[in-house]
Amino acid sequence: MVNYILRRLAQAIPQLLLISLILFLLMQTFGDPIASLGRRTPPRPADRERLRRQLGLDQPVYMQYLVWLVGNDWMKIDMDGDGVAETPGKRLGVLRGDFGNSLISKRPVLKLITERIPNTLLLMVTAEIVIIIFSLVIGVYSAVEQYSFFDNLVTALSFVGYSMPIFLIALLSMYLFSLNFKEWGLPYLPTVGMFDPEVGRTPGQVALHMILPVFSLSVISIAGYSRYVRSSMLEILGLDYIRTARAKGLRDNLVVMRHALRNALLPFVTLVGLDIPFLLAGAVVTESIFGWPGTGRLFVERTAQSDFPVLMAILMMTAVAVVVFQLLTDIAYSYLDPRIRIE
Amino acid sequence: MKRNLYYLLSLVVLASMILAACGGATPAATEAPPAATEPPAATEPAATEPATAAATEPAATNPGTVIITFPQEPTTLNPLYAEQWFSTILTQFWLKGLWSFDPDGQPVPELATEVPSKENGGLSEDGLTLTIKLRDDVTWSDGEPITANDFVFTYDMYMADANIVSSRYPYEDYVTSVEAPDDQTVVVNFSAPFAGWLTGIFAYGAIPEHVLRPVFDSEGTLDTAEWNIAPTVGVGPFVFKEWESASHMIFEANPNWINPPKVEQIFIRMVDDAAQEVAILAGDTDIGVYLDYSQAEAINNSGKATFVVQPAGYDEGWYLNFNAETVHPALQDVNVRKAIALATDREKITQDLLGGQTEPPATFWDSTPPFGNPDLEPYPYDPEEAQRLLDEAGWVDSNGDGTRDKDGVELVLRYISNDRALRKDVKAVVQQMWAQVGIGAELKEYGDDFFNGYADGGPQPTGQYEIAEYSDNPDGFPDPDESATWLCSEVVGEDNPEGGNWQGYCNPELDELLNQQATETDPEARKQLYYQIAQILYDDVVWIGIWKDPDLWSVSNRLQGVRFSGATPFWNAHEWTISE
Repeated sequence: MVNYILRRLAQAIPQLLLISLILFLLMQTFGDPIASLGRRTPPRPADRERLRRQLGLDQPVYMQYLVWLVGNDWMKIDMDGDGVAETPGKRLGVLRGDFGNSLISKRPVLKLITERIPNTLLLMVTAEIVIIIFSLVIGVYSAVEQYSFFDNLVTALSFVGYSMPIFLIALLSMYLFSLNFKEWGLPYLPTVGMFDPEVGRTPGQVALHMILPVFSLSVISIAGYSRYVRSSMLEILGLDYIRTARAKGLRDNLVVMRHALRNALLPFVTLVGLDIPFLLAGAVVTESIFGWPGTGRLFVERTAQSDFPVLMAILMMTAVAVVVFQLLTDIAYSYLDPRIRIE
Repeated sequence: MKRNLYYLLSLVVLASMILAACGGATPAATEAPPAATEPPAATEPAATEPATAAATEPAATNPGTVIITFPQEPTTLNPLYAEQWFSTILTQFWLKGLWSFDPDGQPVPELATEVPSKENGGLSEDGLTLTIKLRDDVTWSDGEPITANDFVFTYDMYMADANIVSSRYPYEDYVTSVEAPDDQTVVVNFSAPFAGWLTGIFAYGAIPEHVLRPVFDSEGTLDTAEWNIAPTVGVGPFVFKEWESASHMIFEANPNWINPPKVEQIFIRMVDDAAQEVAILAGDTDIGVYLDYSQAEAINNSGKATFVVQPAGYDEGWYLNFNAETVHPALQDVNVRKAIALATDREKITQDLLGGQTEPPATFWDSTPPFGNPDLEPYPYDPEEAQRLLDEAGWVDSNGDGTRDKDGVELVLRYISNDRALRKDVKAVVQQMWAQVGIGAELKEYGDDFFNGYADGGPQPTGQYEIAEYSDNPDGFPDPDESATWLCSEVVGEDNPEGGNWQGYCNPELDELLNQQATETDPEARKQLYYQIAQILYDDVVWIGIWKDPDLWSVSNRLQGVRFSGATPFWNAHEWTISE
């Protein structure tokens, strides 16, 4: 087992290096970060030239990648533009934990990201829990009551929910529960942000402000996942051992919950496992619409500005999480299903 | 049957648990505001009846907070590093400069005792020395005196190679040195008379030397200074309190400022465009920023806020291609260019597509008072005259396909813009207007990066167009200088890939006027030069204004006293009041 984990981790190193190289090359097509440094118009030529030099963007791409990877504290760089490299570099490179500074705000990238991660996790983990609970409850109930009124209703609703784009759900719910409810004199939900500025950041406020984003994030997933749970439940419920269990006279809910659900859960666990690494990356659309200060929003903002040190860091963080969680899922399999062995 | 009931029951229990959770949170919000009103409770009569007021209007319980929504978040607050308008407009709260500008573009002294001029001796006769007297009764928010040395330090930091500042304009181009003969006197020496000094020199104030000098000395750069994102020491009607990235920023009233503000705090909330609109309509925000013309009606009808337009130098206009190698032959004829202007009903465009919130400008400076030439009127909509001019120029529909042609060349013009939805609509309408006089249009949209791309083979530097539509203002607004767009020396080409004159228009007469105005330090004489410059661009039909493109704001009905200006929108924040 230990050998297997070590081997997988060793494999991950060239994998991640290759990913970083490909991403870095893709970043070059993102547009010119200098162009977005103009206050309202692109900077004048003299400033463009100076900024390129000071930010190291005048270097060839392989050099930029090298500096990003291993830093430049072993070389000198030209800051004053006389063509002579005179200032010792300060960057340590990603391999030594330095993701560089943002091209736009000049702040350390790691700081920018770590500020946002707690907010993103709060939102995403809550949404994931809501998704899991509701998909299970709805999926199991629909399977047990196949073709009942409830099942048909849920089927219809899932198709509606599944085919709605998330921004539409977000805006519709915002209009309905915030704006219209307020107009109609009903208790209403806040529109944007994490808390009301006049109240401050209390847990109650944050919870209240989370309702709409969590709702928007969960609707589509619940619609999809509950169908998944329903079909795998139906499959299991039709198997012989379930009939045997019932024939033995076991109580119905015992049969469903213990015998059927446990087996039906395996594929669902895989599905959820695939979601987890992306929780860190945040929800791009939802966070933007509801003004939620998470990593997804950071990514969107910085994409528009071609701030590639920040983009690279978020993408690499996601890549590492995918590698790690894939390994964990594989290990979890061997525990859940004794037929799968890890060598 | 029994299991039916079991599952139904468990569902109901679960649902009620969740509803209870939500329901439990809602009253918490409506109860909480009274607690938050405790500091102003003594001064604000409204706070004596919080129970009833809070139950209906939780967002408006604290009479002291002005909420502003920002659809883009500043990346830094240090004006040396600020690359966005959103960042620079905030300085009016916490980092006042020498002077700010009122709605008419006139300077209002802040840290300076008066605005220098040749009359009061602040500007030397040769225009090479600027002497600014500082007020002696203002201090940094931590009590330290603000002196001329802070300005010298600011200049040094702009020019330091270790600082990756966003722009060294105009220091790199015009300034030879900044001196502090005494604590209250700042002297700026120019290499040549610099007409734009009023808006260019210390446009965003000074930075505190006593806070930042130690940082620069120890770290070797200001790039990563904590002050850039948490400038707890400033000088202005408000003091920075906190900034949580992607969430909010708070500035608190500074009672020691020369004009103490009447509101207690400024709360800036970072939101998405769509969410901003909802917040405006719900009365959850006091000032909406960077709005769109299409929002005007809904905002004015909401009963919560008012839509406000404020000229900021921007005009949406057509930049005609003059590069003989790439342009359609018809465009080289001034009468054809005039016909294009006459064939476009710009009044109708502003009425139908922009809700009548603005109007067509005659010159590039109509939104930059006082430099717009008052004698010029936009070319009228006159399709008959347009047809006559085109016939006269030899462009007639000889093959009967509905589009004019000459020597076998069809009169089809490439009309390009970025992909903003409003521009797409305008282009489609213009295409129809042109069709009535027999001008064909080939409409093209590009992504922002590529459309604005200067060296990446974008359509404009490479001349792949006849008419390019975008909105621009004089770079140093409210200073009128926009020479880089029209100087012959700026014509973009292989030998000058970074040139700013993408249209390739080169006119020696215009060049002379542009060079003259750059060093003309007499405001009246400079204004007359701009009237002449505008006249040339108008007569030669170099630039056709489509609409004046003001800044679009919304102000909630409870907020009074807001008077935006184009250059320093929040210049009179100390006069703002909130009524219930």
